[in-house]
Amino acid sequence: MKLGTRIAACLVMVLMLAACGAKEESGRVQIEFFQNKPEAKGSFDALIEKFNQSQSEIKVVQVNPPDAETVLKTRVVKNDIPDIIGMGATDTYSLLAQSGIFMDLTNNPLLSQVDETYVQMLKDVAGMDEVTGIPYSTNANGVMYNPEIFKELGLSVPKTWDELLATAQKAKDAGIIPFYFTYKDDWQTVLPFNALASNLEGIEFYMDRRGGTVTFAEKYREIAEKQLALMDYGHGDNFGKNYADGNRGFARGESAMYIQGTWAIPEIRKANPDAPIGFFPLPTGDHPEENKLISGVDTLLAISEDSKHKEEAQRFIQFLLEPENSKQYITEQTLFSTVEGVTQDDPAVAELLPYLERGQVIDFADHYIPAAVQLNSVIQSFLQNRDIDGYLQKLDTEWDKVADRR
Amino acid sequence: MNKRLMPYYLMTVPAVVLFFVFLTLPALQGVYYSFTNWNGFGDNFDFIGFKNYINLLKDGNVGNAYWFTFKFAVVVTILINIFSLLIAMGLNARIKARNFLRGIYFLPNILSVLIVGYIFNYLFSNVFTIWGQNLGIEWLSTNILGSEQHAWIGIVVVAVWQGIAYNTILYLAGLQTIPQTLYEASNLDGANRWQEFWKITFPLIAPFFTINMVLAMKNSLMVFDQIVALTNGGPGRATQSISHLIYTGGFEGGEFAYQSANSVIYFILIATISIVQIRFLQRREGDM
Repeated sequence: MKLGTRIAACLVMVLMLAACGAKEESGRVQIEFFQNKPEAKGSFDALIEKFNQSQSEIKVVQVNPPDAETVLKTRVVKNDIPDIIGMGATDTYSLLAQSGIFMDLTNNPLLSQVDETYVQMLKDVAGMDEVTGIPYSTNANGVMYNPEIFKELGLSVPKTWDELLATAQKAKDAGIIPFYFTYKDDWQTVLPFNALASNLEGIEFYMDRRGGTVTFAEKYREIAEKQLALMDYGHGDNFGKNYADGNRGFARGESAMYIQGTWAIPEIRKANPDAPIGFFPLPTGDHPEENKLISGVDTLLAISEDSKHKEEAQRFIQFLLEPENSKQYITEQTLFSTVEGVTQDDPAVAELLPYLERGQVIDFADHYIPAAVQLNSVIQSFLQNRDIDGYLQKLDTEWDKVADRR
Repeated sequence: MNKRLMPYYLMTVPAVVLFFVFLTLPALQGVYYSFTNWNGFGDNFDFIGFKNYINLLKDGNVGNAYWFTFKFAVVVTILINIFSLLIAMGLNARIKARNFLRGIYFLPNILSVLIVGYIFNYLFSNVFTIWGQNLGIEWLSTNILGSEQHAWIGIVVVAVWQGIAYNTILYLAGLQTIPQTLYEASNLDGANRWQEFWKITFPLIAPFFTINMVLAMKNSLMVFDQIVALTNGGPGRATQSISHLIYTGGFEGGEFAYQSANSVIYFILIATISIVQIRFLQRREGDM
């Protein structure tokens, strides 16, 4: 069977060629840094360059593919896990952490350098006692507003839910779009939901929901009503505009407010470098002192359990955590640092700082909802058909169905 | 081994091996996983028998996706065939710049579906709406893709626009097999245009009609790229096709095994529909 051996030889060749992809450079240990934020590629490139030049033993290479979370999952299937993984503290992180692919960092000295609040957040998201990631940067979600329009109309920053609606009404009466909704992208519909759900029912709700002792139908009616109430203050085509349209529109001063995350600021400034931007947490109730800012881990750094270079990976993370480098990163990305003493000086987010300093923050509610529930599309559909009972019931049935399939 | 057969083996065996390794094997693996509760990664999973299939039947989202996909496929198949036959007849007539026009009409097929989708996405949200506002037409002044009731129309428009090109070429090929003498003879008998079409043209291109119906149906049942680029299944799940559901549920939702079961059913369905269609339409060809 000469032919058979020939084919076998060909296949072996192909496999070998594929395996020859990444080899270590002479004398230097090469480690792979995989991260999921396309916006941050440039910032990390600069930091990696600096790290690689600072010493001669380790060389870090960045990988930042499109649709990174999916790519990461397929690489996990192939047992080809990057040495260091940078990603958000989402349900995907929770799934991966529970599958045991990350190194346990519970008593690691690296953890002592970052804010305790966010370490706890990682534990809550993953539902585990071990810590498998180091929170690196955090974001905030609230209401962006245009200070110039506010000044013109004599408006002040609202502190309660009623004031928020009153402010929106005044803008509407003056012929200005109160909120620029960008609900063609379904993930945008989740932003007000996060603020309302986390503040009004808290994250404990999800622990109870996992245990099956509460339902959305019992607890989420007020949240649903307030989600709908906001819809009266959009523009004419709330479901026809997407995130990019919204950033452009707000940058041009088309609306007074814009419910958004801090991550949009660099995008808005791309459209208009001088765009006036202010930021306040979405008021959800009657007591301003109880209102918390929604803030979650934007990027956490995890090390692969299978990595042969754990020591080197930790050295790189240590480098990233140095105040100077952390500062450089958050300044370019308008995020917040988890490192003690590193502050965000951007005037656009100045009003949010007191909340972060006091620790008056709470995590995104949707980080606790399994991705298979597809919360985004459930909310997007609800805001169109305005059926509160159907919506709450849908959340419960979807949750139970997914739990049943796991 | 017979010396004379050697070249044939040399040509077919690699193809068979490649086909088996890259297509058949993954498909079989998919069937295997559909009986487990694997989430797509990690090593631990159990066999759960037909539980995934039973859950599929109970899942309203799955029913919704199948219903949407069938409606969509039927509408698109009919529209594509009507328009591409008309265009093919136009391009087959004695007109100026015939070859140039044939090239132009084929262009949509060359462009990437995703790029076309993103261009149309922009048109729907930022161009048509402005026309609508300026002309005072209400239904045009909001983005059609943002409406639960009407978003599917937007996708149909793009799918038809792009799908026509390929089927037009097939119909053109078919039209060129018809001998001109038949038309000359019918002219002498005094047949009108309408009779000419139904008595000569359409029966003689019947095999092409069959293949175009089957291809258009299969392609629109598998619709994916257009949906990703235009609505991403939204608003809500109003435009979620089966393949989009399998992708989002399986990869983003981490329910690999569950959606594997869905894709097994989906595969059986598409195969059945295609076979039934071919059987039915070929019998019709014989009758004509």
